[in-house]
Amino acid sequence: MIFQGCTDLTRETRRKWAGLLFVLPGMLAYLVWTIYPIFNGFYMSLFKWNLNPRIPNEFIGLSNYVKLFQDPQFYVALSNTIKYAVITVPFQLVLGLLVAVLLNRGKKGQTLFRLLYYLPVITSWVVVSVLFQYLFATRGGMINFLLKDVLHLIKTDIKWLAQTSTAMIPIYTLGIWKGIGWTMLIFLAGLQSIPKQLYEAARIDGAGGWKLFAKITMPLLRPTFVFQLVMLTIGGFNVFLSVLIMTGGGPRNSTQVLNTYMFKEAFEYFHFGYGAAIAVVFFIMVFTISQLQRRFLKSDPY
Amino acid sequence: MRMRKALLVLVAILAVGMLLAVEEITFWHTYSTNSGEYNLLTAKIIPEFEKAHPDIKVKETQVNYNDMRQRLIVGTAAGVLGDVIRMDIIWVPQFAEIEMLVPVDIVFAEDFAKVKDGFLPGPLSTCEWKGHYYGLPLDTNTQVLLWNRKLFEEVGLSEGPKTMDEFIKYAKLLTKDKNGDGQNDQWGYADGGLGPWNTIPWIYSFGGHILDSTNQKAEGFVNSEGSIRALQTVKDLFESGFVADTIIGGGGIGTFEGYAENIYSMILAGPWAWPIIRGQYPDAEINAVVFPAGDGGSRSVVGGENIVITETSEHKAASWEFVKYMTSHEVQKAFVEVSQMPVLKSLVEDQVIIEHPYFHVFMQQLTTAVARSPHPGWNQINDIMDQAWQDVIVADYGVKESLDYAVELIERVLAEYR
Repeated sequence: MIFQGCTDLTRETRRKWAGLLFVLPGMLAYLVWTIYPIFNGFYMSLFKWNLNPRIPNEFIGLSNYVKLFQDPQFYVALSNTIKYAVITVPFQLVLGLLVAVLLNRGKKGQTLFRLLYYLPVITSWVVVSVLFQYLFATRGGMINFLLKDVLHLIKTDIKWLAQTSTAMIPIYTLGIWKGIGWTMLIFLAGLQSIPKQLYEAARIDGAGGWKLFAKITMPLLRPTFVFQLVMLTIGGFNVFLSVLIMTGGGPRNSTQVLNTYMFKEAFEYFHFGYGAAIAVVFFIMVFTISQLQRRFLKSDPY
Repeated sequence: MRMRKALLVLVAILAVGMLLAVEEITFWHTYSTNSGEYNLLTAKIIPEFEKAHPDIKVKETQVNYNDMRQRLIVGTAAGVLGDVIRMDIIWVPQFAEIEMLVPVDIVFAEDFAKVKDGFLPGPLSTCEWKGHYYGLPLDTNTQVLLWNRKLFEEVGLSEGPKTMDEFIKYAKLLTKDKNGDGQNDQWGYADGGLGPWNTIPWIYSFGGHILDSTNQKAEGFVNSEGSIRALQTVKDLFESGFVADTIIGGGGIGTFEGYAENIYSMILAGPWAWPIIRGQYPDAEINAVVFPAGDGGSRSVVGGENIVITETSEHKAASWEFVKYMTSHEVQKAFVEVSQMPVLKSLVEDQVIIEHPYFHVFMQQLTTAVARSPHPGWNQINDIMDQAWQDVIVADYGVKESLDYAVELIERVLAEYR
């Protein structure tokens, strides 16, 4: 009997240990590559950090933050980053949903179209950024050619990337174009998980196409929608490579975003402490926003 | 049995001894692996060095130019760097400031004093920070003006401009709206940006400056009269439509391509333009002159690489031997054959330069070329200058006002490193 009890206990503990072991690799990776850098970033932001580990770092308290909040370039980058998220996220959601609904209805060629719409997602940011640079070139660019020579909407070429008023437009466009495939795929999965019986029952009660969409599809897609909103917002705040490659933050710093600004301060100017301060502010902001989004949108109507 | 054991020990000692006697140094460089320079380096230069120094083995590591900076930063933080590095001249003061580079004028004082005077002063100045030298020049380059003969002849011109007045006159003649849609499709001049790499030829040829000769003062230099006139001139040329949009980052046809395709009549280019243009347009005719002279003469910008030894190296003396070898007369001369421009005074008038198809104009330009101020804050100064020029040309800010503001910002950067 005593033995019996002992093995039971061991089995229980063993299972716990086994579970822990299964989680361990992921947990360790998370601790080492996510949690540690966040704390280390905060620690670095309190110093005049020297790249060379043999030179002692000078503790300067919150000076980096004080400087940051007085830095006009930081506000430009901040506002551009927020604008990027505010503009690209809704477009990705709406267009992705539209494509998903269309694909969900059509039976023929669904796989092919799904693949085609998903293709931009898996192509490299570097490649498509260079491509968009060509598309939006002032002279000989495809967009100006379409607008001027084909559609006759404009008389002279638009200097898309070379003037401050329009330079963000190609960057937004790229972000939206590249993101639609992902939102489409997730929405498609969401759509296909909605039980068919609901639509059938509603049809019997006399509901039409729009009503079905508004009363069944939309509410049942809500969890998918919230998930996407949070993920896309985080993704939007992380905009980096497209800006770095297409404009490098110019002209006149008009397209600088937080990530490019942080990169420049840390890796170009060797202001690692200051760069870390930008990263910390950035982290707190994104974390807060995604928590708020989840809190306010989580409540399930059903 | 005992004999065998003793023998084994002896063999082991010998083997270890031999391993210890041969020092291996690693050489990080950015020569692209399909280039003539790389072939020469690996097939001839390094083997010959190893033959002359049987106790030193050189392991070369190729890094893409675009990855080199990241690699140096990560390597510095981790304390793992190559012993010897071929580094872009503008990075040297920045890495010297964080004490990652060996001050060769102190550590190898006697040798350094012997070789110092053999180098061209422009390239040598890029190794200096706070009175010490953190490496030796390895190769150099500058930019000159390429002119397109076909387009020139169409408007009755037969030679590239010699003076700034000629340049302005020609740029106007060479800008055309060929299809009559109200927009230019051929330009007098094109360049790829407004940063100091592109604008130093303008600023200095107009008699202007960025910093003073000690690299400690911007006031009265960034906003000197010549600097103002240089910026004003480029602005006027751009507004008149004589300069293609590429200069403000409008995208589209690159300067080399546009030059070869008879779209841009004049461009600013380094010696790498030849292999790049010829690679795509084997029959392209390339004509070059020194940058048009203004009140400050014909000035251009110094580019190139220095060869440095890292503080983390455990083989500093062996590394120095390799550095001396790489900057020696014979090695520098051998590299000319594969189109690397030398840094030694003794090679300027050498037959090998005179016979080279296009080095002559560059060597001529180099005699007056200006180095971008060797200063650890250069990246910031660079961006501030770029911004000031963009403010004026892209956004219509006043010339004096923009340069005065640049002075204020640059003075702050200079103060950071005092």
